[in-house]
Formats: sequence, structure tokens, C-alpha cells
Amino acid sequence: MTTVNGLVCFTNCLLPQQDGSLVKKDLWVDETSGTILDAQKTFYLRRERPGTIIDLGGNILSPGLIDTQINGAYGFDFSVYEDDDEAYHQGLQMIVERIVETGVTSLLPTIITQEKSKYPKLLSLLKPFSTPTSATILGWHAEGPFIEFEKRGAHTPGYLLPASEGFKSFEDVYGAQNLVDNEDWTLTSESQGFGVRLITAAPEIPGVLQALDELNKRGIAFSIGHSVARTVIATEAVVRGARLITHLFNAMPQLHHRDPSIIGLLGASPHLSSPFMGATSPTVSEPLSSLELPVASLGTITPPNSNLNGNVAAASEAFDLSPKRVDTILSPAKTYITSPTRKHTSRPSLHLEKGQVADMAFDRPYYGLIVDGIHVHPNSVRLAYSSHQDGCILITDAMKVLDPHLKDGVHEWRDGRRFVKEGDSLFVEGTRTLAGSVVTLDTCVRNFSRFTGCSLGEAIKCATYNPAKCLGIENKKGTLRPGAHADLVVLDRQGVVLETWIKAKKIWSKSD
Amino acid sequence: MRLIIREDPKTVGDYIASYICKRINDFAPTSSRPFVLGLPTGSSPIPTYKALIALVKEKKLSFQNVVTFNMDEYVGLPRDHPESYHTFMFREFFSQVDIPPTQVNLLDGNAEDLIAECNAYEQRIKQFGGIELFLGGIGEDGHIAFNEPGSSLASRTRIKTLAYDTILANARFFNNDISAVPRMALTVGVATVLDAREVVVVVTGQRKALALSKAIEEGVNHLWTLSALQLHPWALIVTDEDATAGKLNIAEIQLHVKTVKYFKSIERVQDEVERTQAELKARGKIKEEQLGNLE
Repeated sequence: MTTVNGLVCFTNCLLPQQDGSLVKKDLWVDETSGTILDAQKTFYLRRERPGTIIDLGGNILSPGLIDTQINGAYGFDFSVYEDDDEAYHQGLQMIVERIVETGVTSLLPTIITQEKSKYPKLLSLLKPFSTPTSATILGWHAEGPFIEFEKRGAHTPGYLLPASEGFKSFEDVYGAQNLVDNEDWTLTSESQGFGVRLITAAPEIPGVLQALDELNKRGIAFSIGHSVARTVIATEAVVRGARLITHLFNAMPQLHHRDPSIIGLLGASPHLSSPFMGATSPTVSEPLSSLELPVASLGTITPPNSNLNGNVAAASEAFDLSPKRVDTILSPAKTYITSPTRKHTSRPSLHLEKGQVADMAFDRPYYGLIVDGIHVHPNSVRLAYSSHQDGCILITDAMKVLDPHLKDGVHEWRDGRRFVKEGDSLFVEGTRTLAGSVVTLDTCVRNFSRFTGCSLGEAIKCATYNPAKCLGIENKKGTLRPGAHADLVVLDRQGVVLETWIKAKKIWSKSD
Repeated sequence: MRLIIREDPKTVGDYIASYICKRINDFAPTSSRPFVLGLPTGSSPIPTYKALIALVKEKKLSFQNVVTFNMDEYVGLPRDHPESYHTFMFREFFSQVDIPPTQVNLLDGNAEDLIAECNAYEQRIKQFGGIELFLGGIGEDGHIAFNEPGSSLASRTRIKTLAYDTILANARFFNNDISAVPRMALTVGVATVLDAREVVVVVTGQRKALALSKAIEEGVNHLWTLSALQLHPWALIVTDEDATAGKLNIAEIQLHVKTVKYFKSIERVQDEVERTQAELKARGKIKEEQLGNLE
């Protein structure tokens, strides 16, 4: 649809705001630039008003959803590259053109742990990419290989690596050309200085923490995941710039009150993050060896009641393998280390402002949540959200079988095995073993609103603004800010996707 | 002058909107002969704007051939500041009706040469052949536009220092920070308003009762600038019950019974004459509109 002056006004709609509210307001977009307009400036300075007015009948007009963790969809697996660039590229294109039906307009293909030599090529294929009628590939999310053996989930154990030489190890594995400065990296793509690289790693793996500074400098985001990091190490990672926790609750120690580990970061206490904390620990790079628990010393404890998952064993990538080792903090031999470098100075003074929380020395990290109702119990979803609302990011962590058109029943999987799809659950045939996530992100948004009791606008925020903010792309994606890409989703008031718009053009409609 | 009393602010807004709608449609504006409309900001006209927007949505009214001139704007406040009158007008009205942006005129409070801006504004109004209908509101002190008490009744568009009361009243829009409230504004003058062929003023709420009483029951007085309306041949005040009987501090203010009765009788006469005029026109007895005030 091309209009008289190329300007479109959406009216009679609810716009999700960055604070989670829904406001009845018009939105003006520009078809030519494919961006959202500052309506008032367009009116007074450009002296134009939209020639086309679209009445959305009271529905919600949201920024397109962003999935920061997705392994594949519609039969294509981002992690499988078979020496054919063209075929891989076609796979990408097929996914970004189809996934818009789930309301997703931006995604971060997630690569699970590969054989070391595969990385440089695979990551180089994942530059920001989109077609005029497709969602946008933002870049890549490398999950592994610097992850904890004990929390490897479905990652191939033989491919896991330490990062003994810090950032250099990262370059050796991922390929130096894939870790160049952000400016140089995006230079070679169509995206004009815009793109996302994200690495999930375990901060307790030797060399990982030391690499964080350089990753930050180069604009590569870091997420804590597949890790047994205790509180001190997890905190250290955040202080050093880790922005995210990968699929919270999955592939990490469960919450233990005396050492709440990674999950505990959601409740990071101002008391322990006193602004004076830094002063008492002048250097963090040297004493790391005393913080780290060598893998060997961790791996052998298996309490008798450790199979907490019962018979819900998991082949799912994000799931902990059974039997599950309860974390080292339960071991009497290895109780809570008090970091020699961390003398938690008490806050100098208390304050009298009700509702205020004392200043924190660092921001609590964002956290990804798989809200299919299976990987994380609804109670746990609400628990996490209640403790840190602004950090919540909805992810699918979907497998390549993700396809909303796939019927329930038995389907071919791989290696002659078959799986059974029941709604949003995927089981290995003949078992109750989970075969991974197949939930779509729009379903996660609705689930989230149900599980937590929050409003639809607040749930939408967790799949739009929060991930965009976490990745630093909120001026282009995930918001309705003037200048942002007009990648939009029309949802009814129950969160069902009715239309998807890419760069101000309608490219998918439920009724078609 | 006519005074129309309605139940509450909403019915006042509905009345004025349908009145303006009728005036514009009767005028049958074209691109070469647009209807020139003067517009106010503030809380009183909001119900009128809402009702006008509804009429446009129902396709009973169009602003395609309407040219607007706003009354005033703060000096030095960025155009897209949430409290600027540019922002107000866009949010409350322009964004929701079909007026072409090129036909909208507002004073530029950020102009380098403010005096030149004011003179050019008067000039522009003249170029359009003057304002057909000026819609206005008043402050508690009876000011129309930013013509605060003491303004010359012969004043034209100019720079105006805001009264301290007005600055205090506006502080709530600027985080209660008096120093952040603009001290100056550009405003059309009392004479600019009186130059319009017709003036319609909305006066609602108890707090406006004293100003209303002063403006219509006492003499023309530069300390209650709205009272200058008494000199205008075609003026209409639309008010709600509250504004005709309000409390200010401890003094009860209300219009005299005979004032109210007088204006109510005018309303009936006006209706009747308008009907007969319309009939005459329909039968071809009269060609030109000859309506005006029937006092």
C-alpha cells in the first residue's frame, strides 16, 4: 500500500509504553523511511499529516516482539551448517519471513556449543539481515562452549572449553573477525552501525571473567548461563558488565538461601553492593583463582535425593541433565567461601524515603525466562518477575521444530527417533522426556500475563522494550520512539497476533 | 452580547461545538475562501474540542478549508515541551481533526525577534481577511488570551509579562518549580479579539463566577479584560450553572436573577428569528446571511 504522501496514522488503538502501560493514542509512521515519526514535529515542522488513516478498532499496536534466544524454527536449525552458505542463507531467510506470524520482528539466532572449528564460519554468516517483508536477524547469540560441564544441558560435553587465555581464547574459538569492534563488525553489513552479539558463558570457567572487559569494550554482550557460579562469582560477573542471565532457573544451581548463586542476583542486596565495595577490593583480576572452584572439585557430589526432576528427564538444551547434582553449597566440605577480596562495608546511613531502594553499586542483570509453563513453573515465573520486573525478558529457546502450524501428534525427529507434540510440549516418543521448547513468543506473552497476573501491556514490555534495552537497541527496535523502525504487531486485547508490519508495511495478517 | 447557560462543562462544549459546526457549514468555506477561526488553550475549551473532534469523526464537519489562529504561546519554551501551547493544540485538537498543517497558525515564542513575530502575526490575520469567529476562554481574573488585568483594551498582538498569579497557577505544570515557569508570553491583544466578526467565549466552573459577573454585570473595565466584549456587536458567552453561581473564598458570587432571565429570553428570541430567517432564505426571499446578535 502506497499512500498519497507516504505517511500513515494508526488510530483508535492502544500503544504499549516503556513503563508497561497501554495508552490510547495515535501512531504516525513513514512508509518511505520505514520508521516511526514524531507526530507533532511532522505536523508543525514538516507541515504534513498522514494521507492514510488506519482504524485499529481498539486493538493493541505494539512494537514487534524480540526473541533473543531461539535455536531454529520451521525445520531449520541455526546451529547446523553443512558447508553450503547458500543453503544456510536460504534457511535464515525462510525463518525470518515465516516467523512474523508469531509477532516476532527481531530475533537473535542462538548457536549451541559447536566443535571449535565450526564457529568462525558459522558466526560470520550471522550478520544483521532482513528483507523488506521479513523479521530482522539481529546478529548472533553464542551459547557455549565456555560453559560448565555440570550444567551443560544438551550441549555436547566433548566440545566444552576453558578460556585459559581470557579474551584470546574467545578469539581463537569464535574467530577474531567475529569479535572485532562493534563499529567494524556492523560496517560490513546492511545494518548501518546496528547489530547484536551475545555470548552465554559460565563466569567460573577459567579465563571467562578476565575476558569480560574486552568483550564490553567491543560491544559484545555477556550473559551468565550454564553455570554453577556462586554468589561472589556471579556478582563479580555483573560488576564486570554481564547484562543478562540465560534461561533463568534452567542450567544453574537452584536457589539456596545461604548462597543464592545466579538466581540470587535478582535480589541483589544494596547492603552487599555498597558503593564502598569497590574501594575495599582494589583488584579483581588477580585473586580470581581463590574465588574459582576448579571444575574437578565440584563435579563429584551427588546427594541421594538429587533427582529432583523425577522422571521428567530432559534432552532439552536448556534443561539440566539427570541425575541432577545439587550444588556444591550443600556439600559440608565446601561451604560458603567468604571472598578474601570482598569486605562488605555496611551502608553508611539509612534513608527515610518509603518505597525507595538505596542506591545500588551495580544494576541487577536482565534475565531470560522460557514461559511455556513447562521449563519454568508459573509460580517461579511470578517469583522472578516480582523480584525484578524491569529485568524480565521473555524468550522461547525454541528448537527447530517450532512451527505454530505443526499439529499435535507423532512427528519424525532425528536419527530415526520420533517425538510427540502435545500443545506447547514436545516429548520423545514413548517417554515423558522433554525434547525441547516449541512455544511461540506471542504465546509466552499471553502465558506470562496469566502466570504473573500482570497486565498485557506489562507482559508485552518483557518481549519488546526489556530485551531491546538489554541489548542497547531500543532506539531502533522494541519501542515506539520516533526514529525507531516501524516493525509493529497488532494484537487483540487477549494478546492474539492479528497483523504484523515491517518497516511501516503490512506483511502478514491473520485473516489472509 | 448573548449568554447561554447550560448544565455542565460537557453540555457547554457540545453547544459551542455544534454552534461552530453550523457556522462553518453555513459559511461553506472553500480553499480560496477559507473559514478563519481563532482558538484558545486551557482546560475550559477541552470539552468543546472533544465535541468538535466527534463531529469530524461523524463526518458532519471538516477542517479542510478552515484556517486557524491561536491566541498565545509562552516565550522561550521549546515547541515540543509538554506544556507548550503547540503541544496542547496538537494533542487536544489538531492531531485528531482533518486540518492541513499548513493552515494552522501559532505564535512562535522562540522567534529571534519577538516584536517582528507579533507584527507578522497581525499581518497574517489581515491577509486572510480577518478572523471570522474567535473562540476564547477566560482566567479567574477575567483575562482573555494572556491579556492580564490592566491590559489595554486597544492592545494588539504583543509580548506580555505574565501576572504573578498566573505564574503561580501555572507552576503545577512545571513540577511546582516557579523558576521554571515562563515569565513572558506572546498573545493577541484585546483589540485583536474584538476585530473578529464574532466572538464566542466559554466560561465554566465556580472559580470563574466572579470574572463572569464582573464582565457582564459591570462596566467595561481593563481590570477584567473580558468585559471589553460588551463593545462587540456579535458576542456570545456560553457558561455552565456553576459559573453563574460560585463561591470565591467566602464571598458568594452569583449573577442577578434578572441577568439570567434577560439572557434566557434572548436565547428564545434568537432561536425563533434564526428559524424564520432560514425559512425566508429557503423560499428565496433573502440572499445574504443577515444574522447577528439579537439583543
